[in-house]
Amino acid sequence: MYTPIQPLFSLFRRLIVASGFISLLILLSGCSLDTRMSTFVTKGPVAETQYNLFMITIWVTFFIFLAVGGTYLYVVLKFRERPGDDRPLPTQSHGNPLVELGLIGVSILLLVIIAVPTVQGIWYTHDTPNTEAAKLGNWYNGTALSEGEEDDVLTIRVIGYQWWWEFEYPQLGVTTANEMVIPAGKPIHIELRSVDVIHSFWLPRIAGKVDLIPGRANSMWIQAGDDFDQWNAKLEKQNIDLAEMDLQQDYQDYLEDEIHNYYYGQCAEYCGDSHARMLFRAHVVGDDEFSDWIDSQKQGHNAPDGKSWEDWYAAYDADPDLLTGDINEGLKLFIGRGQCSGCHAIDGNPRTIAGVAGPSLTNVGERHSIAAGWLNHRNEDGSIDDDLQYANFVKWIKETDEVKPGNLMWWTRLGNGLGQMKEPLNDDEIHKLSVFLQTLK
Amino acid sequence: MSTAADASAHDAHHNLMVDNKKLFMWLFLGSDCMFFGTLISTHLIYRKLYPEEYDPTHLFSLELTSFSTFILLMSSFLMALAVSAMHKGELKSFRRNVCGVIFFGLIFLGCQVYEFTEFVHEGLTLQSGTFGSTFFLLTGTHGVHVAIGVIWLLCMLFYTQNGKVDAHESAVDAEVAGLYWHFVDIVWIIIFTVIYLIEFIGKTGGAH
Amino acid sequence: MSSTITETHTQHTGADSALKPERSQLGLLRPDHSKSVWISWLTTVDHKKIGVMYGAMALFFLLVGGFEALVIRTQLAIPENDLISAERYNQLFTMHGTTMIFLAVMPLNAAFFNFLVPLQIGARDVAFPRINSFSLWAFVAGALVINFGWLLEALEMFGLFNASGPTAGMNDFVPAMGWFGYAPITGKEFTGAGTDFWIMGLQILGIASLTAAMNFVVTIINMRAPGMKMMRMPVFTWMTLVVSLLIIFAFPAITVALGQLMFDRLFDTSFFATAGGGQPILWQHLFWIFGHPEVYILVLPAMGIVSEVLPAFSRKPLFGYAIVVFSGAVIGFLGFAVWSHHMFTTGLGKVATAAFSLLTMAIAVPTGVKIFNWIGTLWGGRVRFAPPMIFSLGFVWMFMMGGFSGIMHSSAPADAQQQDSYFVIAHFHYVAIGGIFLAVVSGIYFWLPKITGKMWKGNLSTYVAILSTVGLNITFFPMHFLGLLGMPRRTHTYLAGFGWETYNLVCTIGAYILATGIFLLVVDMIRCLRSGEPAGDDPWDARTLEWSTTSPPQVYNFARTPVIHARDAHWEDKYGPESRHTTYEADDGHGIHMPSNSWMPLIASVGFIPLGLGLSLMQAGVPFMGYMAIFGLITIFSAVALWAIEGPGGYHLHPKEATA
Repeated sequence: MYTPIQPLFSLFRRLIVASGFISLLILLSGCSLDTRMSTFVTKGPVAETQYNLFMITIWVTFFIFLAVGGTYLYVVLKFRERPGDDRPLPTQSHGNPLVELGLIGVSILLLVIIAVPTVQGIWYTHDTPNTEAAKLGNWYNGTALSEGEEDDVLTIRVIGYQWWWEFEYPQLGVTTANEMVIPAGKPIHIELRSVDVIHSFWLPRIAGKVDLIPGRANSMWIQAGDDFDQWNAKLEKQNIDLAEMDLQQDYQDYLEDEIHNYYYGQCAEYCGDSHARMLFRAHVVGDDEFSDWIDSQKQGHNAPDGKSWEDWYAAYDADPDLLTGDINEGLKLFIGRGQCSGCHAIDGNPRTIAGVAGPSLTNVGERHSIAAGWLNHRNEDGSIDDDLQYANFVKWIKETDEVKPGNLMWWTRLGNGLGQMKEPLNDDEIHKLSVFLQTLK
Repeated sequence: MSTAADASAHDAHHNLMVDNKKLFMWLFLGSDCMFFGTLISTHLIYRKLYPEEYDPTHLFSLELTSFSTFILLMSSFLMALAVSAMHKGELKSFRRNVCGVIFFGLIFLGCQVYEFTEFVHEGLTLQSGTFGSTFFLLTGTHGVHVAIGVIWLLCMLFYTQNGKVDAHESAVDAEVAGLYWHFVDIVWIIIFTVIYLIEFIGKTGGAH
Repeated sequence: MSSTITETHTQHTGADSALKPERSQLGLLRPDHSKSVWISWLTTVDHKKIGVMYGAMALFFLLVGGFEALVIRTQLAIPENDLISAERYNQLFTMHGTTMIFLAVMPLNAAFFNFLVPLQIGARDVAFPRINSFSLWAFVAGALVINFGWLLEALEMFGLFNASGPTAGMNDFVPAMGWFGYAPITGKEFTGAGTDFWIMGLQILGIASLTAAMNFVVTIINMRAPGMKMMRMPVFTWMTLVVSLLIIFAFPAITVALGQLMFDRLFDTSFFATAGGGQPILWQHLFWIFGHPEVYILVLPAMGIVSEVLPAFSRKPLFGYAIVVFSGAVIGFLGFAVWSHHMFTTGLGKVATAAFSLLTMAIAVPTGVKIFNWIGTLWGGRVRFAPPMIFSLGFVWMFMMGGFSGIMHSSAPADAQQQDSYFVIAHFHYVAIGGIFLAVVSGIYFWLPKITGKMWKGNLSTYVAILSTVGLNITFFPMHFLGLLGMPRRTHTYLAGFGWETYNLVCTIGAYILATGIFLLVVDMIRCLRSGEPAGDDPWDARTLEWSTTSPPQVYNFARTPVIHARDAHWEDKYGPESRHTTYEADDGHGIHMPSNSWMPLIASVGFIPLGLGLSLMQAGVPFMGYMAIFGLITIFSAVALWAIEGPGGYHLHPKEATA
């Protein structure tokens, strides 16, 4: 027969010491909750709603934890068998239906506390609000919009590829990749599409995720920062005397803080080899800056040396060798031996518009990261580290398959990817291409 | 004879409401219900996605399918006769009826093979979009069930040919085979409705 | 210990060795009394031997899956680690999930079902002993097919195999699309032969599980000893019944989905391929209609084990037996109605999202009820901290933690932040390790003395408990934070600077602590097997019928059929009034009829290997593989036909105790 070997308290003491040690370890590690992709420090109503609901579930479960866990500990300690215990056999009772029913009732009540705001939250986070202030016509002051679009909210179509993101602004006629630019405090309708496998669009601090599923038209909405009404409502809740404040000015000040925030996002549905390296960014700007950015995207780039594209291509067609310097050489590689223009568009350049299979490189020099957010060159103050940017371009072109295993640029299905070139790009060529790409801003 | 032939004769059963083998078959049929249910719901979801050019009413021949449906129903009738014969211990009558079931089952399979080849000639294949995929997978799976049933019954004919059978065990075996056959029949009636007939709702013309 | 052994069982005399080998109706020798150990195990139809083999193989795969997890954690210990490649990482997490669910936990549960259910209901065997043997070997065949890719990888590593010549069409030998295999990444333009092995392996495992489940339902409904009414059955047997029904009704959905996927890959159909109008989302619905009941298929047996252990070591009956049984059934039933909560982020629409959100909250109620009843069982009892009890007490605590994060998921908008992040990993590992694993270890500590007849030595179990519980918490508690700080699942590496570094390092350390605990468990089991003292029939002073037989039980389980007069039959024998004592049917002098061993289940199952591999390799374009598949199919059909024709056979045993 079995003899109990271990006095129970020593076991529990060890367990408690151990768990205390873990908690301490985590606390000591100074883990802040204010991190780049934290769902605790939210911006805008969608993530805020989701966070508030999460906190409700936390409090309800914490209450259950205290009640049930407390009882459990009490029971285990109180009724434990001590050495030399001579209690008689416990009564062989079979339960108490009233207690059971009571507990079932309490559990249902507790769940209702979660259920009601959950349903409200589902409705709220589902439909893009179309307030007066959100209408495109009321704040966008770039080039004219077409009829009927003035009353819509800004729409961004997100298209997932293995393993990068395309951001299309269908109302404004602009396409960019991997770094989206969004206006502060405005609801934005997001259309989610995928061309290959399932991806998931997740900007933790702004909104929870929704999947991009091939053959299916999903959508969601995001908003970076409160609009005036939401901001105002929060002030009222805090009982701040509104009469004494210049509300519009204060709201502008509040918004100013949101502007130039830089949010990190990532694909959240397993999508193959380089799923871990399918990141993206959202750059928040003010209304005017947004309009300017759209215009600059639309305008595209000029040819090197201040030439017009016609002149440049005329010179190129006549005798490419006369176009010298790193930038010209880089561009020649881009449309020539490097085969970049077969997939990548640079708006403005008339011979790259065929590109569809790869990210648009318009203004790629302005982006704070390349390779779908994996290679970063952003300084703390939000400016771009030019040296690092150059190094990143070199690394990406040179070691494509290591930076992003399995990617199309290395192994194109047509059989002419970087990894399959008879004579790979040499270091000098890569240098020239990188220098050229850096000028795209 | 049955694949589930591990008779539990070795153990006294005290709470035997249904014979072990029969209960096993009922459970299998429950599982098979979910199996066909899944296939049929796939079809029902996907039939909304058919592009126009696959309008199935141009393909289906209701006359032929009604005929094969009738044949299958009749085979079920014969199966019922066979089971009842086995219960009475009339082995000859059992074997005669089972022959009929097999014959009708083969006619049904023949109709299906004919129909499949016709459709393929008219351009409907497994590869032609969602309609081809769900149609062939669903009806094909049913066809495989019928074929397995036919093989099963052939085995029973073979097994009973020397005329020596245990009365109770054979009655149970026959009943289990009967359950299977009736189930396959019922599934066909559902398939006939949701694949074939439903397409003609609101359409004036029949086939061709 | 105060066990009152009322009856001393003598080792039964070699009545069987006196029997001559019998010939079956086919004229073949039945492998009944073979002297070879191998033959006697390979052809056995004894539910106890089958249970032991299930258990041994499940533990092996538990270690394999655990090793895969350790490699994963090591890779993630530091940011931008390049210990293993992205492809290898994806293979590892896919196989970790598949292995743990289908090759470790399900067969571990099957091991307990097999060994215990007939003993608990007073039967001599399951209803269909040969089908039982078939289920076991089909499981082994499926496991081999799923893991075949690792063999190819290993051969390739040693330069003995490369995909060229006739095998040139093969790539990605090991599945790498996640255990959920979301279409369209399982399409042939995205993944290679590994996906085919996975499809075929899961189909075979499905057949194994289905036949086993039907067998158990028939056994439990039809084979109970006289007086063993449904409401007198031990809770573990009840949970076996519920789980078996869940398997019967849930597996067809995955069978169809896998079949459709196989057709997509083999014959270019358009079930999930968007080019032909297919909808990848259909896969998710079919997968989770199976997948959510599967969660309960995994966890209900664990709840059954705990519902046996807690009363035994509190020396009280289970509090609210009827309600525990009923809540188990409700969980099983509701399990079919909550599948879409795995799909909150797929754009279900408002109404569906709200409905599945509320149903998911509803399923928390019967789960909570079980916890209340377990606490009620302890209340007023004499709680003894024997090894099985330590693990069961840990189970209640850890399972409750997993349940809390489950409630957090049920709120769909909150889940939009948690879905596919490490928060979800934390949730289901609390349920899987804190729940299922601890309960299964509790079951091992509880019943291994019954299975082997040997008692545990020393107090290693305490260290196993401490290391695995502490390891579990160090590994998975920080993952809640990792998820809420935005780290997505299934990523083979991550950038520094997102606040994830410390958590990941802590998680990795925890994983090694947990692994040490599991290692010690294996050591403890080996020690018990090698040098344990004889355990006696009822070493724990337990309550249910299986403790009234010898340890290990004789091949015929009960020399005379028991007649049951109360729930907790064995407890009543020891402490109850005379009227509730188990009585035994008189021996009729014919001896005990035992079913014959058979080769046919084994041969039929082995046929699945050429069938599965053949179909997989055919997709990859390897020549002649279609013929191999046909060969496999013929093997299966002929073995089944011979199986039917050879008949169950059988022989009689005359143990001394029967007539005593």
